[in-house]
Amino acid sequence: MSSAKSRWADNAEEEVQRKREKEEKKRAKLEKQRQAEEEEVRRKKAEEEAAARKDEQNREDSDRPTKRRRLSHDGEDSRTKEKAEQPRKLLRFAAPAWGPCRHVDNFERLNHIEEGSYGWVSRARETATAEVVALKKLKMDNLNDGFPVTALREIQTLKESSHTHIVDLREVVVGDTLDDVFIVMEFVEHDLKTLQDSMSEPFLPSETKTLMAQLTSAVAFLHSHWILHRDLKTSNILMNNQGEIKLADFGMARYTGDPPPPNLTQLVVTLWYRAPELLLGAKTYGFEIDLWSVGCIFGELLQKEPILQGKNEVDQISKILTLMGIPTDTTWPGFRRLPNARSLRLPPNPPPHATKPNIRRTFALLTNAGVDLLLSLLSLNPDGRPSAAEVLDHPYFKEDPKPKAKEMFPTFPSKAGQEKQRRRDTPSAPKRGEGGKVEFGAVDLSGLFGAEREEGGAGFQLRMG
Amino acid sequence: MAPEVRPPSHLSNPLATLEQLSTSGSQLDGISADLETSILFAGATLTQAAGILLHLPQDIIASAIVTYSRFWVGAEGGSLREYGAKDISAASIYLTAKLSAFPKSPRSVLNVYSFLAAVPSTFTDLDKFSELDYEESCYLSEGAYQSRRNLLTKMETIILRVLGFQTHVALPYALCINYLQALDVFKGPSGKALASKAFEYLNASLLNPQLLYLTHQPPALATSAIYLAAREIGVKLPEEEWWEVFDTDREELGFLVVAMLSMEGFVGEEKGKWEGGSVPLTVEGVEKEIERRNGVNGHDTL
Ligand SMILES: Nc1ncnc2c1ncn2[C@@H]1O[C@H](COP(=O)(O)OP(=O)(O)OP(=O)(O)O)[C@@H](O)[C@H]1O
Ligand SMILES: [Mg+2]
Repeated sequence: MSSAKSRWADNAEEEVQRKREKEEKKRAKLEKQRQAEEEEVRRKKAEEEAAARKDEQNREDSDRPTKRRRLSHDGEDSRTKEKAEQPRKLLRFAAPAWGPCRHVDNFERLNHIEEGSYGWVSRARETATAEVVALKKLKMDNLNDGFPVTALREIQTLKESSHTHIVDLREVVVGDTLDDVFIVMEFVEHDLKTLQDSMSEPFLPSETKTLMAQLTSAVAFLHSHWILHRDLKTSNILMNNQGEIKLADFGMARYTGDPPPPNLTQLVVTLWYRAPELLLGAKTYGFEIDLWSVGCIFGELLQKEPILQGKNEVDQISKILTLMGIPTDTTWPGFRRLPNARSLRLPPNPPPHATKPNIRRTFALLTNAGVDLLLSLLSLNPDGRPSAAEVLDHPYFKEDPKPKAKEMFPTFPSKAGQEKQRRRDTPSAPKRGEGGKVEFGAVDLSGLFGAEREEGGAGFQLRMG
Repeated sequence: MAPEVRPPSHLSNPLATLEQLSTSGSQLDGISADLETSILFAGATLTQAAGILLHLPQDIIASAIVTYSRFWVGAEGGSLREYGAKDISAASIYLTAKLSAFPKSPRSVLNVYSFLAAVPSTFTDLDKFSELDYEESCYLSEGAYQSRRNLLTKMETIILRVLGFQTHVALPYALCINYLQALDVFKGPSGKALASKAFEYLNASLLNPQLLYLTHQPPALATSAIYLAAREIGVKLPEEEWWEVFDTDREELGFLVVAMLSMEGFVGEEKGKWEGGSVPLTVEGVEKEIERRNGVNGHDTL
């Protein structure tokens, strides 16, 4: 008995001893690596300086352009360019492509910014560098299936998206328990929703144009990398005081392909920004759903408030058809075959005026090119919507007023930088675990379409089937 | 046809640094390099076998093996005295499938691993697993299932933390086909044979003890596999240095060709080393093996 006990004690001691030795070895090893890296950085720097001196000499010696110089065809001074590129090279050398997550203790939390449906976000300062960042705690629900796939995709897609108008993901840090996971992002002063709510007038047309161009360039980047955002809305668009927007909240984002994977969830995009094909229960969908949201955001920037504020899914589709007209077999071939389309009994031959959009009337101050762009983005038929790349080529961006230079944007006081939390009254993105499918059943419909209802403005009737 | 979910960048992979390759959590923990090599190889093979039984496409299995392999390298990598190779293998495949178009339930993954626990998978010809009529059935009691599922999801989180959430893996398979087409040999009479031979080399390289997928980019891997396949099948490729078109220089090609060719000899040696026993893929198994080796050494010195 006692011998067994002492043997156990020995083992435990050995174990502790082994752990300690390992830690020491690890520290020594890492220290050695650090020194080697520093040495390498010094060496490179010395080399660089030597090269620069030589370059200088060469140039003084003869007028013949150096080899490097000939390669730079943009006329920029090759040496300044080279210099600008150097740090990146060194960084690549020093930083391993992967390494363990750091602890969240490296950051001091300053204040909460916003509690969303997927987690909370706070302003924080990295203790070592005093740099202010945004920390978003990822919500870990349904842990039976392990790490939530939505959170994984949020990290994966954001990590892959380095673009001027997409928020920069710095790193992923962790807390003490296995499900404390935070993403560290650059801190951005505003989000477009809160900002607009605090403004007394909408953005100027030239400003709206700049914001639209920036947003569309971010979306074009995502789509060219096969990423669907699936939750574009003003509260997910951040804006700094340099007149730049930064697309954020990749909590719904995922990779897609051609053809799209068959198991895409229909439970995406916040109601007011949700495309009609999703509302009608389309089983597959593509980049077009993001372009619909861009259309909604365009309208919102013009009006200073969301343009399609449905109370529920049925109300949403009704508001959409009021604005855009009833689809016909010519304007949207095949829409009648969508699962929820059967529940809407639309007139087989609607009067022509009922099929026409009301954009012109609603956005009276918009130029013809602007109207044309908005109409195309809000095309009921997804095939009628332009791609993000095509949007960027639209005459709207070329005509007067020209997009305002971002340096000319006014700066606004930041709500997020203060103790006060941002307040929000937009509905949230659909939540996981609400069932795999959008319920667009008879219950919902009977509520709204049960009685024949005249939609005065559009002059059509929606009836329960 | 299965939809192709586009990976982020199909050309470039995060690679291990020289520092990371110079040591490992296991070695710092007192595990000899040759024992580590044997276990990592056996765990990678187990992952391949499990992927086949789970009917996962080869590119997903390959990604899982790369993730599994990344986990162990470097001073800050996982240690075999702390984590079982089998558990990390299962969690790698579970995690990789979850992010793909073919997610697998914890139950399916655990069933396959408990099935494989009863089969010596390391030196069994992997093709046998494709021919095997594996029917998923419940090999686990409810209690055992619960606790293994908890372990599986815990290991998944640990992998993510050790890798700093680096889940991006670029693979050479699609490139390999593109290159064969560019070389104008894919449509030819031996195109099919050439492609499948090249894929064989790419698959075997996943298990290579020199961790080729952690040290070389997909274009170089694809190029080297084509070079070897063409030589073996007797398909003539252009006289000039065609590999340079695919971003591979002679030196790298030479290195990879030798490394890929060494695989057969390596497997033979491993087979010899472990004859009669199986490679330990759990923490307890590893401790026993260390004890056994110490015992043998102790005996020698007597
Ligand atoms: N990098 C950042 N800098 C400053 N504020 C940010 C940053 N990221 C997010 N926020 C603020 O936090 C809010 C919520 O962030 P985010 O949308 O990413 O979280 P969420 O929980 O997914 O939200 P929701 O479910 O409400 O859409 C944003 O609307 C914005 O106000
Ligand atoms: Mg949000």
